[in-house]
Parts: sequence; structure tokens; C-alpha cells
Amino acid sequence: MGRVDQASAPVAGHTPARAGTGRTSAQAGTGRIPAQAGPDRTPAALLLALAIAFALLCLVSSEPVNALRLLLTGALPEPRWSAEGGWVLGRLARFGAVLEKTALLTLLGLGMLFGLRARQFSMGADGQMMLAALAALAAGVAMPPLGGASWLLAGAVAVAVGFTFGLLPGWLKTRFEANEIVSSLMLNIVALQAYRWIVAQGFNDPAAGFLATPALAAAARPPLLAGFSALLLLIVLAPWAAGLVLNRSTVGYELRVVGDAPAFARQAGLPVARSIVLAMAIGGAFAGGAGWLLSHGLLGRLPADLPAGLGFEGLVVALLAANEPRRVPWAAFGYALLEGGAQAMERASDVPREMVLVIQALVVLAVVSVRLDPLAALRRGWARWSGGAAPGLPGLEARP
Amino acid sequence: MTPDTGLVAAALLAALLRATVPILFAALAGTVSERAGVINVGLEGLMLVAAFFGVMGTVWAPQWLPGAGAGLHAALGAAIGLAASVALALLLGLTHLRWGADLIVAGIGINLLAAGATVFLLALWAGDKGSTAQLASLALPALPIPGLDRWPLLDALLNGDDRRGHHVLLWAGLAAVPLLHALLAHTRFGLRLRATGEQPEAALAAGVAVDRVRYAALALSGLLAGCGGLYLSMGYLTLFQADMTGGRGFIALAAVFLGGRTPLGAFAASLLFGACAVGATQLGLLDWPPQAVQMLPALATLAAMVLFGWQRRRRARRRAAADFARWQAAAASSS
Repeated sequence: MGRVDQASAPVAGHTPARAGTGRTSAQAGTGRIPAQAGPDRTPAALLLALAIAFALLCLVSSEPVNALRLLLTGALPEPRWSAEGGWVLGRLARFGAVLEKTALLTLLGLGMLFGLRARQFSMGADGQMMLAALAALAAGVAMPPLGGASWLLAGAVAVAVGFTFGLLPGWLKTRFEANEIVSSLMLNIVALQAYRWIVAQGFNDPAAGFLATPALAAAARPPLLAGFSALLLLIVLAPWAAGLVLNRSTVGYELRVVGDAPAFARQAGLPVARSIVLAMAIGGAFAGGAGWLLSHGLLGRLPADLPAGLGFEGLVVALLAANEPRRVPWAAFGYALLEGGAQAMERASDVPREMVLVIQALVVLAVVSVRLDPLAALRRGWARWSGGAAPGLPGLEARP
Repeated sequence: MTPDTGLVAAALLAALLRATVPILFAALAGTVSERAGVINVGLEGLMLVAAFFGVMGTVWAPQWLPGAGAGLHAALGAAIGLAASVALALLLGLTHLRWGADLIVAGIGINLLAAGATVFLLALWAGDKGSTAQLASLALPALPIPGLDRWPLLDALLNGDDRRGHHVLLWAGLAAVPLLHALLAHTRFGLRLRATGEQPEAALAAGVAVDRVRYAALALSGLLAGCGGLYLSMGYLTLFQADMTGGRGFIALAAVFLGGRTPLGAFAASLLFGACAVGATQLGLLDWPPQAVQMLPALATLAAMVLFGWQRRRRARRRAAADFARWQAAAASSS
């Protein structure tokens, strides 16, 4: 059964951080971070999550195959033959929405990634994004166009607001030992209500027809490239910048060491507390960038009922990307595709689009379950079923 | 004190208990898991799932057992809700203990799964993405204490302002505090559970099945958090709403640490947060903007965390100073 092996593994994860008494398991490291899981098991985890999703679809839908097809491909452009125009691509508008969502999720994923690399679980991307979006919009409305560069300045404002608000959970943690999950979620509530308060009580445009902020002037918005906002370039630029900070700067090195080997970092005299605070704050800066994208790139004016919960999607993206900045855009694209597909699925089949929320959670659980290897389990099952003890088949060795 | 203000105070106290109980259950659940060394971040999700399946259970029960009474139907629904939350807690245990998942990320994943699955199934089964308002669901009964008519103050306190008695889960929550304290402090299982949390290797060497104890602690936390969820959907309200826990699971997580990881401390911290919630609704009666009122519990949680952290820090510093003074005195006398 491997009883001892199972029991001792989580124990080993606990030891270094548990030297002092009164330390809580939420503060101590528990288990592994996906980035160091060895061979890339993200595809297997994804396949597993989709397999479970398909099983669910079979249970709830009368046309599971069709629903799955729509979910996976419903948001892709569709090549269509027409007599007058030859081959044309259909559904381009929907694909544009996917690209916009990809940019947003890329930034939010990067916002989560920094905290995760330092082993901090700040969930505050939501609130950071909202306040940053509001600040950027207010700056954009208040500033003169500055020769068409005011959107850049507004971006700086958004990043600064995200950074500052992202600083708070880290500061509360290092100064007051406040658990960062709880404090960042509470700060989200505060930010969300503050946002609604500001938009509802003063900063709104009665001519909008719904409760929303004043709109940005066209001159205050970034230029368009091929019909899209130039801010979509952040899909490429933001991961590059994040990689630079994470892999080529002292701050990035320190926060990686603090995340990978906290005991070593402390022993080597690295500024552990500062790294923890900075990791969350840099993440906040990227979440602030997401707010900038929202206000200047995608919406142009902010509604009072901006949906909450985007920050958790950022977590999914960061985990899918195995906390590697380079892979974040791909993960974001995949996730945005799935979400667009879910809407197509809801329209054209009998499955509600909230299915994608279930898949999202299954992906998180499958990705972090580093010792769960569905292929090895299948192989083991096959070996047992076919009489076992087949010498050529790797059985238990497949398990790390 | 006129009897009138006394009655108001008793009514406020009853309201305080009603606001406290869901947080209390979740905080006790968090305490059990934390003491076993497997902090359960998925409390919010466990509450949601129990609340949802409790309601759906009472919708299904009359179809399964048409002859039985409403009480049995409600009990069956509650059992289904609790089974769901225990199952989800065990899934968290499985991912962490067997499949090596990071406990905290997995807990967040459990929350996502619960939030997504409840809305998904709500859309599927109730045809409505907001709530089960269109389905007829049952509540768990209240337990009135008879024979208190002669003491209106006591009556208002023990039977609520409408004199119909407090919800059965409210009494259960109050009873769970000493029971859990006794379990942790005075039983063999409690000792093993605490050993597992404090020094897992020592526990393992002493022959404690560490993993099994942790599974048991998580199952117990699922049961307790599930009671909190049931209180929301089969007591506080008699329907399920999407995201009806509203962050109580996370506030409870704060209560675990504020309460010093003990059941009694968790009770005190839950009372504090319950008082904040009651205070917020009372302020809502004044002319405050609703956003400010909804912000209050979160701000109170943050303030409480800061205050306790500051105090803990000061105490540690004082202890260090005393140690240093003792060491200095010893060094001076020996030289």
C-alpha cells in the first residue's frame, strides 16, 4: 500500500517551517509549488480535467459530444465558403472578444504569479484591478490629452495604485502576522464597495443611461492598431517585463529564493520580509495594469457593477502556466477560448455556461495534485487487469 | 433598566447569536483542521455546498419518501447537505495527502469548485442562476423552550424576539464549542490530533496514523462547516442563493487565528464578527450608504487582525526583553 511513504511525504513538507511553536500551518509551507514539480504535467492535468468535464456533460446533457465540441471550438474563427467572397472567416467578433479577454487574463495571471513564486497567497488582484481602473479612468478624464500621451500617464497611475494596494496584504502579514489570504480577500471587499460607492455617489455620468463613470475622450484613449486597442500588445509586453523582473533582477531572485527555500533565504540574510511585501506589490502592479487595460483599452467607461471574481481566473491562469511568465499568455488564451466556447455552448446546447467554472476548479485541483498521474494510474490499472506482473510495464516506478 | 430596554437588549443578543452561528461553525471547522496541521481554506466552499444540497435534498425528499412527514424530509435534506460537504472536505484531503497538492491552493480550488458547481447545478436543476426561490424547500425546526411566559426577558433571550424558539442549529453551534473543546483537550483522539498538528514526525514515530487522523480532522471540519451552511439555507433563509455564504468562510478563517486556534477563542472571535454584522445592519437602518455598511465587516476583520497581531508582537517583545534581562543577570552573577 505504500502507507509509510504516503504518511511521511506531507510531514517532510512541514518540518523546516515548524521549528518554532505557535506557528500555524497557514504560515508554514505546505506541500509543493507547481513550478518545481519536475516534468511538465500540465497537459496531463488539463486532459484529466477535460475528461472529468466530459463525464459530467454525459451526465447532464442529451448531446454531450456536441456540447464538448462547442465548448472547445465555439470561440474559434470559422472558415466558411461563400459563393461571392470565396473563403471567409466567420465569428471574428467573438474571436476579438477572446483576444481581449486573453490580454486581461494575462495581466491578472502575472499579478497572481509573483505572489505564488514567493509562496504568498494574496488573492487581492480583484480589488487592485478595480481601484486601479477607477484611478486610471479618473486620471484620463481629468488630464488634458498631452499630445496623445495621457493614456501612458494614466497607465502609470493605474500601476502605482495597483502596487500600493497590493502592498497592503504583505505589509499586514510581515508587520502584524495577518494571514494574507484572509486580509487580501477582505481588502477585495473593501475595494469593491469603495469602487461602487465612488461610482454611485459622485463620479458618474447621468447621460450614460446606466450607472457608470464618465467616458474617456477619444483623444485620451490609446491608438488603435488594426481595429484593436494598442493595449492588446500587453499580451506580449507584460510577460516579457514580468520575466525580466522575475529572472533578471535582484528583487526577482530574492523573491524566488524566499519562495523556493525560505529557510535558506533567512539563513543567507536575504530580506525575507521585504521580498514577501514586494512580491505581492509587484503582483499588484500587474493587476493594476489589468485595470488600465479595462478602463482605457476595453471599456472606455466603467460600469458600477463591474463583475467580481476575475482575480480567481488569474489564479487559474498562473497555475496553468506553471508560474512561468512566458507561458502565461498561452494559458490565458486557452482559458479565454474555453470561456468564449462556454457561451457558444450555452446558446446552442442544453448546458449552462457555468460549466466553465466547474472546469476551472477541476483544472486548479488537477494541476496542483502533483502526485496524481492519470496515465501512470491507467497503466497500473491495465497491468493489474491484464494479469499483472508484466515485466515490461512500468508499474510503481512511474510514481515520483 | 426598564423592562423595555431589557427586551431590546435581549432581542439584540438573539440577533447577535443568529449572526454568529454560521461563522462559529466554520471557525470551529477551521480550528479542528488547523490543529491537525491541515488548515482548511475551503470552508467557504464547504458551507456553500452544504447549503445547496441541503435545499435540494428537501426538494427531492418528498419525491423519494412521499409518506413521511416534513420533519423527516428536512432531516433527510440536512443529511444530504452534510454528506456533500464532508465529501468535498475529503476530496481536499485526498488532493493534499495522497496527491501531494499544495494545501492552500487546493483549498482555493475547492472554493472555486463549490462556487462553480452550485451555480451550474442551480441553473440545471432549478432553471434559475440566482436562487432556488421557485422551489419549495423546507427549514430545519426551531426549538422553543416552553414555560417561560412569566419571565419575558428570559423568554426573549432563550426563545428569540418572536418567541418561537431558536433554530436547532443555533443550539447545536453553542453546544459544539464545549464539545469540541472536550474532544481536543480530553480525549485520546484529540491528543493524537494535536500531536499530528504540532509534530507530525513525532506522532508518526509514536505510532499515530498521521494521514488517517488528518482525514478524520478534515471530515469533521466538513461536518461542522456544513452545519454552518445549512443554517444559512435552512434556517436564516429557506432557500439557496448563489454565493450566499458571502465570505463568512474566510471571516471564519480569520476567527481561527484571532481565537488562538482554540474552540473557545474561536467562539469569542466569532461573537466579535457576529457583533460587527449586527452593528452593520443596525447602521443600515440609519441613513448610511449601503456600500459603507457592506464594507464594515471586512474592515472590522482587518482591524481585529491588526490589533491582535500588534498585541502578539508586543507580548513576544516583552518576553524577549525579560529573557534578556534574566540572561544578563545570570551573566553578571556568574562573572
